[in-house]
Amino acid sequence: MTRFQNNDSDVVVVIGSGAGGGTLANELCQAGVRVVCLEAGPHLTGPDYHNDEWPAFQQMAWTDMRTTSGSWRVATDFPNLPAWTVKAVGGTSTHWAGACPRFKDYEFTAQSSYSAVEGASLLDWPITLADLAPYYDNAEIRMGVTHRHGRPPLPANNNYKVLANGAAKVGYKQYATGPYATNATPYDGRPASNQDGFNFQGDKTGAKWSTLVAELPKAGKTGNLDLRPGCHVAQITHDAKGKVDGVLYFEGEVLHRQAARVVCVAANAIESARLLLLSGSPRFPDGLANSSGEVGKNYMRHLTASSYARFEHPVHMYRGETMAGIVADETGLDVARGFVGGYNMETLSLGPAFLAAFADPGAWGPAFTEIMDGYENTAGLWIVGEDMPQSTNRVTLNGDAKDQHGLPVPNVHFDDHPNDVAMRSYAWQHAAELYRAVGAVGVTDTPPYPSTHNMGTCRMSADPTQGVVDRFGRAHDVPNLFVSDGSVFTTGAAANPTLTIVALAVRQAEHIVGQLKAGAL
Amino acid sequence: MTDPVSASLDAAEHQHAEPSRLLPDDAVASLVRVLKVAFPHRGFPDGPYERTAEHIIATAAASPFTTAQLGQGLVSLDALRDRPFAELTPEAAMEVLQQVQHTPFFQLVRSTTVVFMYSDREVWTVLGYEGESSDKGGYVDRGFDDLDWLPDPRIEEMRA
Ligand SMILES: Cc1cc2nc3c(=O)[nH]c(=O)nc-3n(C[C@H](O)[C@H](O)[C@H](O)COP(=O)(O)OP(=O)(O)OC[C@H]3O[C@@H](n4cnc5c(N)ncnc54)[C@H](O)[C@@H]3O)c2cc1C
Repeated sequence: MTRFQNNDSDVVVVIGSGAGGGTLANELCQAGVRVVCLEAGPHLTGPDYHNDEWPAFQQMAWTDMRTTSGSWRVATDFPNLPAWTVKAVGGTSTHWAGACPRFKDYEFTAQSSYSAVEGASLLDWPITLADLAPYYDNAEIRMGVTHRHGRPPLPANNNYKVLANGAAKVGYKQYATGPYATNATPYDGRPASNQDGFNFQGDKTGAKWSTLVAELPKAGKTGNLDLRPGCHVAQITHDAKGKVDGVLYFEGEVLHRQAARVVCVAANAIESARLLLLSGSPRFPDGLANSSGEVGKNYMRHLTASSYARFEHPVHMYRGETMAGIVADETGLDVARGFVGGYNMETLSLGPAFLAAFADPGAWGPAFTEIMDGYENTAGLWIVGEDMPQSTNRVTLNGDAKDQHGLPVPNVHFDDHPNDVAMRSYAWQHAAELYRAVGAVGVTDTPPYPSTHNMGTCRMSADPTQGVVDRFGRAHDVPNLFVSDGSVFTTGAAANPTLTIVALAVRQAEHIVGQLKAGAL
Repeated sequence: MTDPVSASLDAAEHQHAEPSRLLPDDAVASLVRVLKVAFPHRGFPDGPYERTAEHIIATAAASPFTTAQLGQGLVSLDALRDRPFAELTPEAAMEVLQQVQHTPFFQLVRSTTVVFMYSDREVWTVLGYEGESSDKGGYVDRGFDDLDWLPDPRIEEMRA
């Protein structure tokens, strides 16, 4: 176990060990940079996991106090759970499914491509698909993404068979088991999937890529990683010149300081914004790196919705890789559908425990029991589409509520944009048609779950007045402060975010290493 | 405590106390009756309903206020019609529950049931859910692709 001194001001501090932070830490360590990675959650591994939905959730989900506001249904149904993220080493990459689509070129230029959308704070990314393409390759290879770079596809499971047949029947063409970061055959020292059906509760076997099983162990072997679980960063500090020089963090109840040459924030979009807001000072009165006022704004969560369809024959959707099935025909620009942007449909399965809680929150009576009684014959899909950034959708500090450390909790305000509403109702309708084409006898339109994709709260911009970080994720206001997670997304695209988070982290690491070598940091 | 997430976290946090003596003696039976009306599964045996009723009572026991709400709720169900809740037709019983669905009493019953009853192993068996499979080697040789009422679809991406 490597341990660096708390007063060692030469280390790079990475806050959070999830998809962004864990990957960044590994890349820095491989290049010889010494890293202290502070992770709020415990170090759990496969044998610790519960393959049972509520116990797994209680064990690993981020359940520190949060509040919600706005007209989104989550604020009513789950007022203290705006998002489903994980508090553990590996972050939410331990609970993710593994779907790995790339962004499309025009999705980096949403403002130009979609023209004016009233009420939306659309902006073009300061980078293009061509800039990111080599890093997408790198990310896909490191994650062992199926269907890419010679990695074989996952086989069809039952839920996919229903999705793909329905897709073909209604004329969709772009269906496949899809790019997916779980091994179909052994790869990178990790086994092939045993199709045990548990992704969202942590994968006991290590067939699924996560920073816990892939990036952090490799970083550990370099001797350059000091990984500290159970360490919650409360504030980033800066010197008289406005450069960051360390962090204050709680280990249990005790507050420590860690000095730093560079600080990288990868705490997932809600906590990353919260941490910058908590790090205000007389020099940065509105929060660290917030001269633009954009920290916490433009919060995106993807459109999301689900369809659960009941058939006359068994499906057993819970067997097999949860999200290894995609239909991509509804991505792409086609405003004739009544909205800008597009969406993917991906297989999805919940066990009875979570289906009961999430299929139609608050429901009871015969309409509800019909959903549950059809469980064995049910197929499910998730709708993941581009939602419009809005400056009023926003993470702020809630001065009235404090967490266990006495820190103000984040409030997450969200209202659907009319474009989101139009896309969701179109998507529900077409998903139902897909399922009815292969014999569905009943279809449930399920509203968004607490957000699993969290983006945009420290967005990238070419113009420092319009966003928080530059094209490498470096804060416009603070030369040695970086943001290294989905917070930096300028817009959200229709793709699940993690492949892009990992690609950006690899690119950022290369930049930081170059800057360190050049003596610029 | 009206959403299932908080209900689950609360239940995990609180040790179950002894059932309160403030509740009527037949509280379990009354609750079972409520549950069978609110969650009318034809295929469920009594066991899951009874365990859920006991769990609701035990959860409520952590707070005297919640216990009082539960007791009050059960008592008042009997007062809403000209005969006790247990003697109402299923349709009339359903109407009574619709009438009280926004009360803290019913919210407690509903949210606790949603979290607890559908984690019951006997319920899983009835619903056809097998749960954890890692100790058996997953579903790779146990039916993850056994659906045979549709043709086997293409798995490769379409080449443009
Ligand atoms: C059920 C589920 C399924 C998903 N499926 C997919 C999928 O198929 N495809 C996809 O692309 N994405 C998926 N996602 C989303 C994916 O998990 C996230 O996009 C990704 O993990 C985000 O990476 P991150 O580094 O930003 O944050 P995380 O991975 O959440 O890591 C953040 C880490 O920071 C830590 N932290 C937070 N605050 C502090 C602090 N103050 N001090 C110290 N540490 C702190 C947290 O404990 C956490 O470990 C899924 C998510 C869920 C929940």
